[in-house]
Amino acid sequence: MEEVDRILIHSLRQAGTDIDEDVQSVKQFSSELIVQAVVRCLRVIDPAVGSGLSPSLPPGMSARFRVGMSLAQACQDLGYKGEIGYQTFLYSNEPEIRSLLMFLVEKLPRESAEVSDQPAGKSALLQKAIAAQIKAQLAMPWLPPSCRLPLHRKTQSPGPCHSFRAQPLSLPYSLKVPAKKQSKEVKEYWREYLLPVTSQPSQAASVPASLLENHVSELSAAQEWENEWNSQGLLSRLTPEDYRSRKRMRLQKRIEEQLRAAAQPRPDTHNATRSTSDLSELLNSFAGATTGGDVLTKGTRFTHSEKFTFTQEPEKAAQQMAAAASALPSSHQSEEDLKAQQEAEFTALQQQLQQLSVQMEEVGGDIRQLTVSIHQVSDELKQREVHNLEKENTIKVKKQTIDLLPDAENNLIKLQSLVEASSKRVVHLASQWEKHRAPLIDEHRRLKELCSNREMESSRKLSEIKDLHDKIRQSAEEAKKKESLYKQLITEYETLPKDVSRSAYTMRILEIVGNIKKQKEEITKILSDTKELQKEINGLTGKLDRTFAVTDELVFKDAKKDESVRKSYKYLAALHENCTQLIQTIEDTGSIMREIRDLEEQIETENGKKTVSNLEKILEDYKAIRQENSALAAKIREG
Amino acid sequence: MELSDSVVKGLQTLADPAYMDFKSFRIFTEAAFHSLLAFPTHSVLDYPELKNIDQALLKHCHIAATTFILEGVKQNADRSTICSCLEDLRFDSERVDAFYELYQKSKTNLEKLLSSIDRCPPHITDVSWRLDYCIKNSHVHKVNQPSYLISFNTENGENTGASSELNFSCTLEQLQDLVGKMKDAAKSVERATQL
Repeated sequence: MEEVDRILIHSLRQAGTDIDEDVQSVKQFSSELIVQAVVRCLRVIDPAVGSGLSPSLPPGMSARFRVGMSLAQACQDLGYKGEIGYQTFLYSNEPEIRSLLMFLVEKLPRESAEVSDQPAGKSALLQKAIAAQIKAQLAMPWLPPSCRLPLHRKTQSPGPCHSFRAQPLSLPYSLKVPAKKQSKEVKEYWREYLLPVTSQPSQAASVPASLLENHVSELSAAQEWENEWNSQGLLSRLTPEDYRSRKRMRLQKRIEEQLRAAAQPRPDTHNATRSTSDLSELLNSFAGATTGGDVLTKGTRFTHSEKFTFTQEPEKAAQQMAAAASALPSSHQSEEDLKAQQEAEFTALQQQLQQLSVQMEEVGGDIRQLTVSIHQVSDELKQREVHNLEKENTIKVKKQTIDLLPDAENNLIKLQSLVEASSKRVVHLASQWEKHRAPLIDEHRRLKELCSNREMESSRKLSEIKDLHDKIRQSAEEAKKKESLYKQLITEYETLPKDVSRSAYTMRILEIVGNIKKQKEEITKILSDTKELQKEINGLTGKLDRTFAVTDELVFKDAKKDESVRKSYKYLAALHENCTQLIQTIEDTGSIMREIRDLEEQIETENGKKTVSNLEKILEDYKAIRQENSALAAKIREG
Repeated sequence: MELSDSVVKGLQTLADPAYMDFKSFRIFTEAAFHSLLAFPTHSVLDYPELKNIDQALLKHCHIAATTFILEGVKQNADRSTICSCLEDLRFDSERVDAFYELYQKSKTNLEKLLSSIDRCPPHITDVSWRLDYCIKNSHVHKVNQPSYLISFNTENGENTGASSELNFSCTLEQLQDLVGKMKDAAKSVERATQL
């Protein structure tokens, strides 16, 4: 029993019960302790039930009774088969409590097994590590700065601190453009002039920050792409490059449209045209920055017109510059003259420029007017031509009918025959067409079916690919989880005390098994002994009976003849009777002895139930309840 | 340890014996560790052994190596993590050992480097106080209230060893509140260790 009690107490402690060190067996459990242990166990087994029960016994007697009742009810709900009631908790006896506690401990969930199946999350591990670190730092005494060893320097004088300040890095590779397509100049820059990343930031502290930031941004971009590719890209049935370029084009178009809508050129203001030219440059640069951006390089009408209006000016300027250069005097005149001349020239040129610009504007206005009128005129022309054609057609028809009028009947017949012939021809052609059409339609259907089949196949494969992807990801995750679990378990195993009592337990179990075996052997020995004895007894009784019968017969025969023999016969009978009586008595004694032993055992169990003390307790509790009742009655009377 | 594609590519290049022999690898790795710890380093990869290697690729490898080192230190990676990671990238055992040896050697310094990216409040190292008792002031005839003048000696992380003072006065209740808060904080720290 000691063994059992120790295991019970150990598991109860694990369930959260406060058991003193000197409590070694269930016999020493007080009512308070029992209630606490049972409530703790119930809380672990079923939190919903356990949370409604308090682990401490209330002082009031009726309240105690109620607690006992509810506990008994809860235990019965859990499936406890034994006898249980409030008395089990309040007036405990050892065996009942032991069986109840054993039942509850068996019901305790095997938490430890479940927990170790699940790898502790990253955060839990991190928290553990943090806790260990804090513990280590707490264990270290504080030292004044002058006494610190390098060991303490790490935790007690943290040194200069910097905030996390990342700087953009220039990298010798491009995520967007494959290395082969990169231009020669860029490659040369990478090879010859680009600084190593650790030298790029302006401060020492930004080196790790920038590197880490760069890495994280790359990682997250890759993750984003992966997500998008799995959700949308795969369904579009394009290669990743195609998908990317298409997406880029789409976005570019959107941006272009937006910008163009926002910057619609207003016709006359100079500012507006300037801003649109800037925008067109911007748009051009958009296109130039990407490989797939040949949308704009082809040039829309908009860009063409922009080009026309703005390329003229530089040309003109170049001409003027040339003129000015030729006008520059080659003779060495005095500087003032030169200045005056230059100024005069300058004003002249300015005037010229103004004149020219005025002319330009005039001419531009003329051109605009003229183009408008040209448009109008050409529209008119088109309309007239259409009119003409219509009229010509009507004239033709009328002419023919007029020609046919003189010989009307003949012509009518001719016409009818013509109509018939043509209708026949139409029928003939239709039949021919039908002939051709049928196989073509069949072919078309066949091809359509083939096409749809292919589509089905491809979508099936697509879904398969998706499934595979999912599976791959799942298994990768699982593998990772398992690995982390493995690592965690290994660390746990290492931290566990090496002198596990497991071997001791097994040894003890083996010992117990050996003992049981020995006992069993002894029992079988005794049993066989008993059997042998029984057999001997049986044999002896039989022999006795037989001998008695033989002797009885012999003596009875002689008894008729001889008086002395008759006497001896009488003695024999008496002897036999006495002997059977004796045997009877011995058997009776044995059974009585057995009964006595049974009774003694019963007395012992009754003694174990602490009946007397429990009775006393019950008496006291009864008195307490009566007092409470009377107090309550008095209160009622007062109220 | 999660690594981006470019880092993986750079490390795979490093692992390739056709691209870089073991001697150059050693020198390169040392240079990478050195470049993280010493600043500024303009001649990071200025070694004669590394001259005949494509410089653009070499710079890429440098980024990959430094990023890998920093990630490893950031996650407090142990030997098994580092080694399995490198072996996955087809490093042979010789290179793995060489790398890990250097990693182990400079780990504390790198940790210090990373932990310097932080803000740390000044540490309180000492305290002195004075109790004043105000009997009356120019407005009220009878005040009769104690007030404490507290002076904290603080040690600032920014400039090692230099201490500065922090002075303030408070009433009895405020002082009790302060002491209670400090006790709470100490208890919280202790509770955090019992996780």
